[in-house]
Amino acid sequence: MTPSFDDFVAEQVTPLLRYATVLTCDPHLAQDVVQEVLLRAQQKWDRIGSVDLPNAYVKRMVTNEYLSWRRRRAAKDVALCMTTLESVTPPVGDTTHHYDEREAMLQRIAKLPRKQRAAIVLRYYENYEDSEIAQMLGCAEGTVRSHISRALATLRLDHTPEPAGVGLRLGEGLS
Amino acid sequence: MNDTEQLVKDALGKLAERTPHPGPTLNALRRKRKRHRNVFMIATAGMAAVAVLIFAGVIASDRYAPPKGNDAAAVLMPGNGQAVALKYAPHWLPNGFVENFRGTNDQVSRVWVPKGDQGYPFTDGRPTVVIGTSAEMPDVSSGWSEATVRGLKAWVRTGQGQSPGSTARVVWKAQDILSVEVRGVDDVQAVALQVAESVRADAKIAYKPPFKLDGRFADHMWGTAADTWEAMTNWKNQVSVHVGTTAPQLLGQTQQIAVRGRQGLRADNGVAVFDGSVWIWATAESYSDTVLEAVNKVELVDSPDTSWIGKPL
Repeated sequence: MTPSFDDFVAEQVTPLLRYATVLTCDPHLAQDVVQEVLLRAQQKWDRIGSVDLPNAYVKRMVTNEYLSWRRRRAAKDVALCMTTLESVTPPVGDTTHHYDEREAMLQRIAKLPRKQRAAIVLRYYENYEDSEIAQMLGCAEGTVRSHISRALATLRLDHTPEPAGVGLRLGEGLS
Repeated sequence: MNDTEQLVKDALGKLAERTPHPGPTLNALRRKRKRHRNVFMIATAGMAAVAVLIFAGVIASDRYAPPKGNDAAAVLMPGNGQAVALKYAPHWLPNGFVENFRGTNDQVSRVWVPKGDQGYPFTDGRPTVVIGTSAEMPDVSSGWSEATVRGLKAWVRTGQGQSPGSTARVVWKAQDILSVEVRGVDDVQAVALQVAESVRADAKIAYKPPFKLDGRFADHMWGTAADTWEAMTNWKNQVSVHVGTTAPQLLGQTQQIAVRGRQGLRADNGVAVFDGSVWIWATAESYSDTVLEAVNKVELVDSPDTSWIGKPL
């Protein structure tokens, strides 16, 4: 039975936004990407709604939209380390070591080339197999393995945790 | 899986928690779709909707007492006046659920989650009960079963949503189009119908969000306790403006900037400042003077109502 487009959107908009947020590392860009994709999907819903897995099809549209996004932003647009903001006022954030490591890893992931980042997200967030990732990215399985291998090598090379206490001191003397 | 791979997995999970609320996307989608519709279709649909609402109002009038004309609370509409009207309240929820989210952007939605769950409720498929009003009925012609809610015709559907288990949704027409959505509990459909059956109109129930912008209250607020919360609104359809009790995260390189008579931070996509007891920040696709203007224009509200956060019925 073909679901209506409205039903599809009601059920899938949040999962799509979540996937796009992880893929783009940017909630605002995720909103733009999902909105663009849903507008296009609505125009061809007769065809998309009749495929076996419409959500997989639209997720692939989100991936492609992200990979070809015209408003590409600088690779250094990454999540700001909590220590930067906390330095201007009394600290209120999470200060556990693991939290810092995740934040640092997010910044490194955000700097990866787009296809490598997409492959990493599909493997480690969506838990896809190589064959599924290859289908999603429109490339060979060997290329997927190469993307993931290179990405992990980069992330591993950059994985040099900062010593405790190191942070920007922008906030000294601020009100 | 080695340490790096596990850290990647953890970091991506953390990133998923920043998923934006679907409201702005749905609103933008609705606006753009409407532009493409035929004028005649809009007029016809509007007339049909009015007829349906009038009919539903007449039918429901014996079950939901409409606010009286001289009732002060009757004029408390979303985003207007001294508080925000919530209009409806449940009188039964599954054990252990506490209120976590209120959204009042055109329509009202309230979310309850298991006590102890933290943060924004829409990101990870965890158990939730959502009660809200809708601008229009979903297409119930397929995939929905008929049911009754307090004697009114209703429709229910149970399917796979974003949670590991099923998600059930009940919709019905009272004075407004109402919906209850439940996920992450046993027998979601029975629970959803029981919650729906307990919903009553309440013309006096209202709350006061923590800030205003251009005279309008923030239209999204969520948290885990009266002292741990965040409120948000969109401004000029391009800036996301927040007030909260914990530090925000902005993008890219930062520099100091004067804002609200204090020293704040400007990043690639936003501005943040700690203003007395709360953080105020705004973000956009990229930084512009509009972002700074938004933070400067935020009006903090005296004694905002945060007492509902983390509370059961």
